[in-house]
Amino acid sequence: MKEKWNYILYLIWFAYLILSAVLMFGHGFLLSRKTLSDVTKCVPLTEIGCDGWEKGNSTEVCKEDVKIRRLLANPGSEIACVPAEFRVALVLVDALRYDFTEYDGGIEKPLPYQNRLPVMKEMLDRWPERTRLFRFMADPPTTTLQRIKALVTGSLPTFVDASSNFAAMELQEDNLIDQVTKGGGKLVLLGDDTWSRLMPGRWLRSHAMYSFHTWDLDTVDTEVDSKVYDELKKDDWNLLIAHYLGVDHAGHRYGPNHPEMTRKLDETNTRLKRFINELPPDVLLFVIGDHGMTETGDHGGESKAERTAAMFAYRGNGLGGNSSPSNIGAEVQQTDLAPTLSAALGRPPPAPSLGSLLLPVLPTMSVPYTLLHITNNLKQIRQYLVRYGEESQQISLDRLAQLINATREQLDKASSIETDEELANYVADVRALIENVRNVFREVWVEFDSLSMLRALLLLILAIFFNWLITEGLPMDRVPLIFASSFVPTGFVAMAVCIGVCYSAYFFEILDDLEHAIILSTGLISGAITCTLVIMHWDGVTQRWYEGRSQFYERFARAAIVASAVVLVSNSYIIEEGAGLSFLSLSVLALIAWNVGTIKALAMWACCGVVLALTRSYRGCREEQGDCWTAGEGAPSGQASRAALVLALGSVAAVVAVARRHVGWRGYGVVLSGLFACAHWAVGWGTLGSPSRSRLLARGSWLVIVTMFALLWRRDGQGATLPLTVCGLLFYVANTLVLGAAFAPSAALALLTGFLVLTIVSMEKNSTSTKFSLSTRCSSSVACAWALLASYFFYGTGHHATLGHVRWAPAFHAGDPNYLAIGPPITAALVSIDLFGMPLMFGAAVPLLALWGKNGASNVGPRTQLAAVFSLCLKFALCFAIRVFVCAMSATIHCRHLMIWGVFTPKLLFETGACAAALVGCVFGAALATWHIPTAHRSS
Amino acid sequence: MFSLNNQLELRKVTISSLITCIYLPSIITFISYRGLLYSVGNGSSFYILVLIFLAELLKSFYLNASSDIQAKKNKASKSRVSDILKSFVFLLVVLFSYFVGIILFGAPLLECHEETLMLAALMTLLTVFPLIAHTGVEASMQLVFGIKTYGKDTIIQMLINNSLLTVCGAWLGAVVIPLDWNTPWQQWPIPCYLGAVGGYVLSNVLTVLKVSLMTAAQKYPALNFVVKVMNSLHNAKKI
Repeated sequence: MKEKWNYILYLIWFAYLILSAVLMFGHGFLLSRKTLSDVTKCVPLTEIGCDGWEKGNSTEVCKEDVKIRRLLANPGSEIACVPAEFRVALVLVDALRYDFTEYDGGIEKPLPYQNRLPVMKEMLDRWPERTRLFRFMADPPTTTLQRIKALVTGSLPTFVDASSNFAAMELQEDNLIDQVTKGGGKLVLLGDDTWSRLMPGRWLRSHAMYSFHTWDLDTVDTEVDSKVYDELKKDDWNLLIAHYLGVDHAGHRYGPNHPEMTRKLDETNTRLKRFINELPPDVLLFVIGDHGMTETGDHGGESKAERTAAMFAYRGNGLGGNSSPSNIGAEVQQTDLAPTLSAALGRPPPAPSLGSLLLPVLPTMSVPYTLLHITNNLKQIRQYLVRYGEESQQISLDRLAQLINATREQLDKASSIETDEELANYVADVRALIENVRNVFREVWVEFDSLSMLRALLLLILAIFFNWLITEGLPMDRVPLIFASSFVPTGFVAMAVCIGVCYSAYFFEILDDLEHAIILSTGLISGAITCTLVIMHWDGVTQRWYEGRSQFYERFARAAIVASAVVLVSNSYIIEEGAGLSFLSLSVLALIAWNVGTIKALAMWACCGVVLALTRSYRGCREEQGDCWTAGEGAPSGQASRAALVLALGSVAAVVAVARRHVGWRGYGVVLSGLFACAHWAVGWGTLGSPSRSRLLARGSWLVIVTMFALLWRRDGQGATLPLTVCGLLFYVANTLVLGAAFAPSAALALLTGFLVLTIVSMEKNSTSTKFSLSTRCSSSVACAWALLASYFFYGTGHHATLGHVRWAPAFHAGDPNYLAIGPPITAALVSIDLFGMPLMFGAAVPLLALWGKNGASNVGPRTQLAAVFSLCLKFALCFAIRVFVCAMSATIHCRHLMIWGVFTPKLLFETGACAAALVGCVFGAALATWHIPTAHRSS
Repeated sequence: MFSLNNQLELRKVTISSLITCIYLPSIITFISYRGLLYSVGNGSSFYILVLIFLAELLKSFYLNASSDIQAKKNKASKSRVSDILKSFVFLLVVLFSYFVGIILFGAPLLECHEETLMLAALMTLLTVFPLIAHTGVEASMQLVFGIKTYGKDTIIQMLINNSLLTVCGAWLGAVVIPLDWNTPWQQWPIPCYLGAVGGYVLSNVLTVLKVSLMTAAQKYPALNFVVKVMNSLHNAKKI
């Protein structure tokens, strides 16, 4: 039995290949940015002494101008609040492309979107000093959520804003809205509810409406119109935000070349006229688009048409800056909005902002005030550079130091500026500098590394293809011989050599990126080795394929797993994946049961169907599933209701009580942990509960579970079935603990489904005899059905593939782990068990598929048992690998898609997590089975 | 595969399939011209089911009108009423199991029962009803549960083929439901309903095609190759 552990080593090898390739893909694909929790603070001018430093006890009195001059002479001083405050009305017309706002009377046959906003042209002609119109350049991804985030923070959007807590959708960084509320300003919101979800609780009055019905052009707009004019008359707000969605929705539904677009733009025109007439002359009016649209009306990518939005500014009392007509249509960046608006509202720029002040859209100010605003902007950027350098190594230190020095130089110059001409030059210099800073950051945040993405896809396909040949091609009777040979050790030695070579090359500075090189070389060498194996056994492969095609239900199952992966290229199927997976797994099971052909099997199948139907009540829904989401089913409930508690207690008690009788002495451990879990919920429930005792009980349960996992390795010579069953039960109890009382019954349903499927599978018989046959019990149909179920129960336990659906309560159910030295790993482990506990449990139970039942493999020789367990595990792992591969593929294809950050990337992340959990579970289960399968006698 | 031994049966199979190929598409065309295509899930479209029922019944009379008509009549007249009653109960049971099965596969659990019921009724009508009308309750029960094999009976073979393709069609119809195209025909149960009808028609078209090809191949042996290919396809489909 030399080959015994070679099987496990091979599975680990496979898991390494898949996960390392996915890791490499992630490095190239996931743009990341470190989120800092800093907040810009400003000191009011009244608290600043005449020497330009913060006032101590001195009671000197001096003029404001002198004070500001002194302040400017101290480049190291704090940011000072500018006393001038204006009220701002920000009208966001979603997807207002720049050319919608242009007016050219010379066009004979205007397109449906041309010449529809004559009011802007009219104002520009009549009052050039009151009106400005710019091209408002957005950074990709040009989706509304990312744009709003970027507009209020003044930063560049990326997908992973790696912050300490990304549980809620709530914006964690300093932003314009927070700055205004901190300064005591009042805010009013009308329209798109994305704002109120990003920044809840900051609004004096909020009339937010659900924004995902992209085919409804009017509801939100009429609702905003009915409120906005009353709001404009009131003067209790400092910043009013009105977000109109009609133009965007008209684009999504009909595209810009459609009469509906004409209608929506005409409505916008009337609205703007009314705003301009009704607004008091001192209020600043900004009309901006957050992004443009393509000729088909979509957005999200980085084409010029999508990036070019419009910005229109108007103030009855006139604006500062240069009002020459040549400035109309100049390009300004969307990052500039946050510092500009904060300046208008008398606040410093938000901490993460990378924008510069847009003086032309601010009211005319005296030179010292202007200088004060500009230095505030510079100081904030300098601070951000320093802090970002401290927190992240994404940008090389030399580069950062260079930028910081440049800002310092500009700050030093500020005090020497007197005339308007000098000021204009200075402003241009500062703009150029900030532009430079922004470009440096954009380079690291916004570029995909397509080379490593493609390499990772190549490695994935290599691993999947050759392992598929090994499972489906190699004759079963040769498998033990191959693994008894030096195949696996050769592979490991080759990989070790690769790592050694890479490391020495890195040591001698021939290579820059060690990790990349190691992953690439080991992946390629493993591909070569498996390829050699397949070539050496090609006669066997061809013979097996010649001898017969597999059964219809088996081919159907393979097609089902491939189909379940391939549909992930479409966003609709990702959104509805829960239903799709249950549909497919039930179909595969139906064919298996039909093939067994007894009434009992069909009844088992029906029970399976009923159980899967019951899990629907736990499935919930995500934001894109409009009707269901607005009905309020999407929000996961925090505290379990009384009925849910009873269900949870009942399900755990029933499972534990039934299971205990069949698993011997190990049952007591399961019972004990189950009891602790029940007590944990019961004691912690409601207002009468005692949270501290409840946490203690949860810890007790975890202790029992961990002890039992250790005890699982005690051999008792009765085969592997019992320990594997107990292992599954322990994973079940662990799952119920992290899922909490509200979702615990769904774990019981998963366990029940698993049991039913095992029973159906054990009823399968060979065409010739009822004895165990490798080809039937280890067919890919069984592995595929199991993999589909494992993927389904991610949804079945109430999860969804969006970052907003990650529950963080599991991390704290047994006390706050942050007080411990090993806190972060514990938090990560608990949350990932909550998310991927089901693939883990199903993965660990894969060997049972071969061993379960009277005619299971447990009655045949250990060699056959091992080969059966191994081939099932590899097939199961392959199913998940295929799904991850297709997810990575679709992320590559769609990397400029509208929903890439909302749908495809989260799916890739969660699928990777599920794959990793399944692989870990699979290796664990296989190792447990190998440990318990008795060593062969010499005769066998 | 159909045998060429029994010319009479072959002719019956061909003609009944031809009738189906004509009447079902004409019903669908008719209701789509009347603008009623998207209301097939409502109870108000019950008349379609009645029409299909009548057509299938007439077809079964035609199929049953065999040469030994005398013998059958004697047997049948005795227990006519109880036979009809039995088949009615059996149809109800099948209807119910279709209903439950469709819900298990993912139809809405608590609402849209009317729509699901219409789909289940259509599938019962297209799959099990022709079998019952042709062979009687006992035999079709045995066929369903796989106790009896249908061997060389061409007509039963055709009927079973029809039912299999109908179920496949309804299964495939579900594929378009999750797509976000917001078209009116994505409403439950229209895709499955039309899929079932489509599968049934397709199966009949295939039957006609096969029989005509086989007869043609007798005259022109060159066509034998095509027949072989169709045979192998057929065998691949049938497990």
